[in-house]
Amino acid sequence: MTTLAALAPRSDFPLLATNPAMHYLDSAATSQKPAAVLDALRGFYETANANPHRGAYALSAAATDAYHDARATVARFLGVADADCVIFTRGTTESMNLVASSWGRTNVHAGDEIVVTALEHHANFVPWQQLAKATGAAFRIVELTPHQAIDLDALRAAVNSRTKVVAITAVSNAVGAITPIAEVVRIVRAQSSAVIVMDGAQAVPHLPVSFDTMDVDFFAFSGHKMLGPMGIGGLIGKRALLEAMPPFQFGGDMIEWVHDTDSTWNVLPHKFEAGTPNAADAVGLAAAVRYLESLDMVQVRAHELALLELADARLRAMPGVTVYGPPPAERSGVVSFSVEGVHPHDLATIFDQHGVCIRAGHHCAQPLMRRLGVSATARASFYVYSDASDVEALCGALEAAQTMFAVAE
Amino acid sequence: MAEPVTASLATMYQERLLDEYRAPKNRRVMIDATAHAERKNPVCGDAITVMVRVADGRVADVSFTGHGCSIAMASASLLTQVVGQTPVADAKRMASAVEGMLSGAHPATSVALADALEPLRGVIPFPARHGCVLMPWLALREALG
Repeated sequence: MTTLAALAPRSDFPLLATNPAMHYLDSAATSQKPAAVLDALRGFYETANANPHRGAYALSAAATDAYHDARATVARFLGVADADCVIFTRGTTESMNLVASSWGRTNVHAGDEIVVTALEHHANFVPWQQLAKATGAAFRIVELTPHQAIDLDALRAAVNSRTKVVAITAVSNAVGAITPIAEVVRIVRAQSSAVIVMDGAQAVPHLPVSFDTMDVDFFAFSGHKMLGPMGIGGLIGKRALLEAMPPFQFGGDMIEWVHDTDSTWNVLPHKFEAGTPNAADAVGLAAAVRYLESLDMVQVRAHELALLELADARLRAMPGVTVYGPPPAERSGVVSFSVEGVHPHDLATIFDQHGVCIRAGHHCAQPLMRRLGVSATARASFYVYSDASDVEALCGALEAAQTMFAVAE
Repeated sequence: MAEPVTASLATMYQERLLDEYRAPKNRRVMIDATAHAERKNPVCGDAITVMVRVADGRVADVSFTGHGCSIAMASASLLTQVVGQTPVADAKRMASAVEGMLSGAHPATSVALADALEPLRGVIPFPARHGCVLMPWLALREALG
């Protein structure tokens, strides 16, 4: 059997290059960064750093161009023809709060219904839960199939003419289940006039995504999960919705005129980007996009699927190991598992001693953990720099953990 | 004075902690408890309840229930073996010693521990697990008031 090599060389990633014994299997939490991204960050501060939009000198124009070029790059990567509908935010969590606050507070009232799924990350669960509490809307949770995919029959039963919001993940961060988006959109459009709010945090880094063909209303993503810097991400929204909804934050840049008693708002995207923009990290994110484009997202998916199939088969063959989630073909490169007799916390410590970085905990998905009947699982996640040696190290550390915790005869 | 904790010593202590985890002492409900307190860790869902029966200023009986990782369970098991039959003030001092050892405020080797608690030093090189050690001790503090 040929050994699966990394799709992107470890040497491109300074942290991985200086830690050759490390097996980083927590990319679902945050990804490592290629030198190209780090160079872009440094390059902005060294050559184009000024406050975008505000200055009348050449350097400010350079900063403005860099920021807007970054937006255009991201828009192209995500299949958004109307680039001004790509709002830069701090990430998925802020994006979801923006929609819940700005669209939600205006459009959701007592008697309306908000639908989420039991797979949702807290970022796409808690804002809607709290919006429902604040407005008196009903909060309905779509349950899952035995393999922790979204149950489409349950979705059909949950969505009706009173539904105002359907908040749904494109890919589960906890078990990797990939949502059949076209089918979900068909169901929601046929049965309601709800807006579809999609969590793309675990989709954008791992799968080809084209917003304009999906017919969802809002789509959020995070830069740091896709080789980009922390503190930058985005919200994509349909223009009509973004133009109609009130701003999320108020201050500089998002205004047009500020009178003593009232103000008017700037056009998209500025209306939702109050304050000095995070231009540097947007430039870093654009560099990450270019790096991913050089790998080709179809290849990224194929690479992760191959690693996932390898890991899934190896883990399922080990006694006492339970693997969650649907079959590999319906999953992104995330493996969530539990080991009989070994607490996830203990797994993580033993893995750490073997140089294997995994996540043990509730993965910001406590509703899902409850439904699995566990308080925590262990989660390994692959990305472009992962290879077969990472799978070997994962299984080796797991065997070591089982040996250490074996009940004495 | 205890030896500095090297990686190999840490491994050895972990074995001793595993023994406590495999066969924890005093893991039982106490019907005549005079006080109890629970500590939970939302990240991993661990929950430990410590029960005490205090009489004449002494901890006459101590037990624990709950579930958790090997370190939390071992720490709880060791706690019940050193705190029982001691004055309440001594029990509180032992809790402070465990906290002090892990806090890094003083060199860990300068903090004296009851002999039976020495295996807990093995957790010092693993800061992510300090909370696990502390869970039953914080519950004890709360129960003792």
